[in-house]
Amino acid sequence: MAQTASFPQTISSTVRSLDPRDFQIFFLSIFLCYGIYALDWGAEWSKYTTLIGVSLMVQLLGEWIVGNQQSSWKSAVITGLGLCLLLKSSELWVLALAATIAIAGKFLIRYKGKHVFNPGNLGIIAVLLLTDVAWISPGQWGSGFMLLFFFGAAATMVLLKVGRIDTCLSFLITFAALEFSRTVLYLGWGPDVFFHKMCNGSFLLFTFFMITDPVTTPSDGKARIIWSVLIGVLAFVLSHWLYIHAAPIWALIIAAPLTALLDRKFKHSLFQWNR
Amino acid sequence: MNMKKGWAIFFMVLIAMTPAMPTLGFCGFYVAKADANLFNDKSEVILVRDGNNTTITMSNDFQGDVSEFAMVVPVPVVLRRDQIRIADPGLFAKLDTYSSPRLVEYYDPMPCMPEYNYRMMESDMEINLSSVMVFDAVAESAKDLGVSIEAQYDVGEYDILILSAKESTGLQKWLTQNGYKIPAQANEVLAPYIKDQMKFFVVKVDVEQRGQFSSDRLNPIQISFESDRFMLPIRLGMANSQGTQDMIVYAFTKEGRVECANYRTVKIPTDRNIPTIVQPRFGQFYKDLFDKAYKNEGRNAIFLEYAWNVSPTWGVKCDPCNGPPPIVQEMNNAGVSWMTGNSGQVFFTRLHVRYSRDKFPQDLMFQVTPNKEHFQCRYVMNHAAQGDMSCDEGQRYLKELESRRKMEMDELSALTGWDSPLQKNYIQEFSNQIKGDVMTTIDPSSAWSIIKGIFVILLTLALFSSAWWVFEHKRASDLE
Repeated sequence: MAQTASFPQTISSTVRSLDPRDFQIFFLSIFLCYGIYALDWGAEWSKYTTLIGVSLMVQLLGEWIVGNQQSSWKSAVITGLGLCLLLKSSELWVLALAATIAIAGKFLIRYKGKHVFNPGNLGIIAVLLLTDVAWISPGQWGSGFMLLFFFGAAATMVLLKVGRIDTCLSFLITFAALEFSRTVLYLGWGPDVFFHKMCNGSFLLFTFFMITDPVTTPSDGKARIIWSVLIGVLAFVLSHWLYIHAAPIWALIIAAPLTALLDRKFKHSLFQWNR
Repeated sequence: MNMKKGWAIFFMVLIAMTPAMPTLGFCGFYVAKADANLFNDKSEVILVRDGNNTTITMSNDFQGDVSEFAMVVPVPVVLRRDQIRIADPGLFAKLDTYSSPRLVEYYDPMPCMPEYNYRMMESDMEINLSSVMVFDAVAESAKDLGVSIEAQYDVGEYDILILSAKESTGLQKWLTQNGYKIPAQANEVLAPYIKDQMKFFVVKVDVEQRGQFSSDRLNPIQISFESDRFMLPIRLGMANSQGTQDMIVYAFTKEGRVECANYRTVKIPTDRNIPTIVQPRFGQFYKDLFDKAYKNEGRNAIFLEYAWNVSPTWGVKCDPCNGPPPIVQEMNNAGVSWMTGNSGQVFFTRLHVRYSRDKFPQDLMFQVTPNKEHFQCRYVMNHAAQGDMSCDEGQRYLKELESRRKMEMDELSALTGWDSPLQKNYIQEFSNQIKGDVMTTIDPSSAWSIIKGIFVILLTLALFSSAWWVFEHKRASDLE
């Protein structure tokens, strides 16, 4: 007798067979809706469409030129969504430029079979430096334990699948330890000041969803930990001595070339989305 | 504010400004404004940020015996004499009037005899001043308390000291010995500022000098300095207060809006249609609206109330205007140093913060953004047309008027929580002029919208189901 799978079994096998990027797209979309509807960002659909649309187009164009067998359109959607969540500009062309640079960077700036820069990170930094009409709003999520839980839980599901929870935790622990030492132990502020900083939504989004990109992190586990600790230290220095509000984003772009260096030192097979 | 024990604290930030030809944009008539004075326990600050240079002007609405006034502001550097000045006391009122929330009115055209009828009315808000501040006294310091007087200046009617300290207990003791009444809890806040290499800008009134000033109000103090940090230290001001305090920040920059970097900056609800019965109580309306918005946003957001390009070369500077926009000379007074003549760009932002110790653990950090999108806090009321409504157009108008007024009352309730007993009277004020049973008919346009809505939902469902079916079908054939 032919066995028919029960509904829960169908669901669980469907979930298991999903690419981690499906989860990522799902969660990032939820975050965007949360921002638009609960945090009053305003529904700037033309901007979101531009970011996601241009990312996809450049991705497909790049794949066509390179002649890739397997399309990475999902990664392009993730990059587009990430840009929607972080980058601000009143000019559509600037957003289109950011998306173009983000994705084109994946095809043009490569070392030993992987791209060097986190695409979203590269797109954001490029337009911040090249134009004077783009900015990041680090305060736009506010700060709260709910955000920590919300982003943390969503990220855990993705990160367990891609095996990058080490990156996220070593960055978080390094940054938190340094921040706690300075804010609470040295300066003498109450723990509420420390928690308010650590529960900033933009910081958490970066920690759970940007720094953990499996392709641009070092392939080897030990190398990843060294790399994320370095980013944590750099972000701390930039925020406390140069008073840069979006310090982790700058730290990541500075540390990106180190991935190549660490990959040379610690040999490991390359990450594949569809294993 | 908890100024009983009176400790005034302010902060720091930035700006840039320009003057403007008072060009009026036409978009209804300005009727009333809800100025900053509606809020008790409020302070006002003008910030000018130009690169790393910050100018902060602190309003001074202290009322009482001036010999009891004192103020302590943490600052990142030791200020020179030329970095401290007295600002024009009229600046705050000018900026407040220009940028405060506004009520505008429109008149419906007469449906049975089309014509337009506009009128302008004026009414102003009651004022409820609150003050701030502390105590005075002078004394010599003790080196063994670890306090150094880095500088000492007489500026206008004020005696100003710039202090640095080795530790908070010493500083607190010194201030207390010298007659500054410091709340006991200030210690825990002074310590982090000292560790962070901050200096203390300490102000009190020189009573003899004060005699030369004819005004009964103290003048605003303005300080300028270079620092990477663009922030306002609010923690000291909350040291002895469990309640909330309101602060209005007027900011000028070259680039665009100022926003908070460590708290959410959200827009106050604007461009809402509200009932005409609100007009005599517009001040209270805005106060209640702000209170509700503040609670809705979790009591930890900062509200944008106004944002506009006020460069002299820019045309419309408000729509409609509560008051004239600032002119170049006023911007210069506020600390906008890059404006000479009419050249240069200046963007103005007004933020309203209601902060409390539990919801605002960190000082306010700001950033300048290139965001030049205009924003104003504006409420609209529409006066009903009056006259003979017997024509078909008139009857239709009356029905629409009734449903519009219902929406206005709902909006009012959503914005402020007001549940007015006059609601029914207001909605049906003109309903007795509607003939026959038309009052109960469903508006055909709303019925059509419902049908369209259902259609869109069904279409979406159909699309999703087909996508899912295609997906499953493909998966099944792949497996085979």
